[in-house]
Amino acid sequence: MNTLLLMTIILFILMRLVGGKKGTKSFIALFLNFGVLLVTIILMSNPSFNLIILTFIACLIISIINLFYVNDINTKTKTAFISTLITITTLFIFILIITEKAMIQGFGGEEIHEISIFSLYIGIDFVKLASSVIVMSTIGAIIDIAISISSPMRELSIHQPTISRSDLFKSGLSIGRDILGTSVNTLFFAFFGSYLALLIWFKDLSYSLSAVINSKIMSAEMITILFAGIGVTLVIPITSFITAYFLVKKERG
Amino acid sequence: MNPIPIMKKLKNLSSIHYIYVIVAILFGASFLFVNNNYFLYEDPIAKVIETSHVDTTEAIDSFGNEDQLYTQHITGLIKNGDHQGNLIHLTNQYSMSGAYDHKFNVGNDLFVSIHSDNLENGEFTGSIREVKRDKYVLVVAWIFIFALLLVGKKQGLFSLISLLVNAIILSFILDIYIGTTGLSLVFLCILSAVFFTITSLLFVNGFNEKTYSAIIATLLATLITMIITYLTLWVTSSNGLYYEAMQFLTRPPQTVFLAGILIGSLGAVMDVAITISSSLFNLYEKNTNISTKALLSSGMEIGKDIMGTMTNILFFVYVSGTIPVIILYFKNHSMLGYTLSINLSLELARAIAGGIGIVLTIPIGLYITVGFINRKRVRS
Repeated sequence: MNTLLLMTIILFILMRLVGGKKGTKSFIALFLNFGVLLVTIILMSNPSFNLIILTFIACLIISIINLFYVNDINTKTKTAFISTLITITTLFIFILIITEKAMIQGFGGEEIHEISIFSLYIGIDFVKLASSVIVMSTIGAIIDIAISISSPMRELSIHQPTISRSDLFKSGLSIGRDILGTSVNTLFFAFFGSYLALLIWFKDLSYSLSAVINSKIMSAEMITILFAGIGVTLVIPITSFITAYFLVKKERG
Repeated sequence: MNPIPIMKKLKNLSSIHYIYVIVAILFGASFLFVNNNYFLYEDPIAKVIETSHVDTTEAIDSFGNEDQLYTQHITGLIKNGDHQGNLIHLTNQYSMSGAYDHKFNVGNDLFVSIHSDNLENGEFTGSIREVKRDKYVLVVAWIFIFALLLVGKKQGLFSLISLLVNAIILSFILDIYIGTTGLSLVFLCILSAVFFTITSLLFVNGFNEKTYSAIIATLLATLITMIITYLTLWVTSSNGLYYEAMQFLTRPPQTVFLAGILIGSLGAVMDVAITISSSLFNLYEKNTNISTKALLSSGMEIGKDIMGTMTNILFFVYVSGTIPVIILYFKNHSMLGYTLSINLSLELARAIAGGIGIVLTIPIGLYITVGFINRKRVRS
């Protein structure tokens, strides 16, 4: 039996057992995300499409799936949705600038022999592609934080209907602060895990520190991790502000 | 100027202000350093002072992909080593797509090799080896640190310290692995997982029962996840997993893969465990008479809410990185099924194994936390 199939079945059974109906929905959402990603990759292979606009649309659809399909359409998912899009846009600008300056796009010297049979002049803008990859890596985490902040903020405004906009904003920040550490942790370990082979490679071949830091692969990985961290930090004030703005329509007192 | 108010002001500065001052000094010093650290490098570095465009050619490969190839001439100033201060002439070819080449601009720092036999009136020729990227990594690192401190304040600082400690532990464990023969990487990673869990959760949450319960839940859930993953690989004999597609291998692929799953899912498992334990403890503290049944059902609701988004985090982190290479395969007319299975099988397996870990942590964390709460109840 195929390993992936067996693992997928185990995951589905567990999600169904633990999460019931919502578990099934989360599982389907995971599949839909995979579908969106595949379609995006196939469209990206066409040089006449703008990679940045494609990535943005992909993030938009992924947010719709994970916020509106899994959690229904309501104030908290709507504000989380708007905040995710604002964060992604802001992040994208920074990422494009840095990717271009640091020249971390494409493939590094360490991996070039594996793809030496391929033609590399394929007419795709790899700077934009590399930026899109960084944005796509963080979209899951950004959505997670946005909904984790907007949902308790809405509970708060229901329990304390007279709360002022600035107080609500402050409690959003404080909720965000509590989850920031673990979210950054989640991302860092996820990246550590996937770069483990690369880290062992550098150590086994006794790369000097300067060679590691300046190598394209490693600096690309470090910049990706750091941008992921910046993304989950940035989304906290943005979501707090947007949610406070929409929940308290008129500034009181 | 009267010194007394200043002294008073200094006294009134809280520790967080001292941290700001320290951060500001580190910030300035690191930029000065990274822009003037040429002397530390053994390899010669040239700063680009002039570029001129030489040639443009249309390129169409055998698959009909259209690209542009450009040639530029670069004059650089050597910044270190024996030939410091001399000029160097370099030729660079780059493409519009830039998969394995770069366009260089005035101000870029490049590692070069000097062809010293070609000396003409004090000017060398040479070739470009690598780009000096340290300052850009530094810029992004500082943006991250500032964002974390501004938004996260004290918690931000703690998570920064915890990240540093974890990175050092990881590097140390890998050094032990490289330095000794016979020690299993998976065993070492299990050992380091214990350290990672304890340090990260203590840094983020402090010494209390919430943290202890989360630590136990994390370790137990991670262990069970690893057993399930290992058994799945064993039962199916890794059918459909393309270990040969793994990059940067100097060690047995399956070991590196399993260790990667362990480390990769650890953060997410910790996240779920602490979310469950702190929300259950909050419920208990608000109402100490709350029944075990009510705790379990509230905990389950919280678990249901987070499992989807948590699984997504891992999914996007693992799978997004493969986009460029998949596009390269596509543009070289590789078959769809072959391209996807060879490039995605391991990343998908990683994401699914992480998802299994996340979902398992929910009931495990729930029962352990309720156990802790009931113990506390008996005591009080």
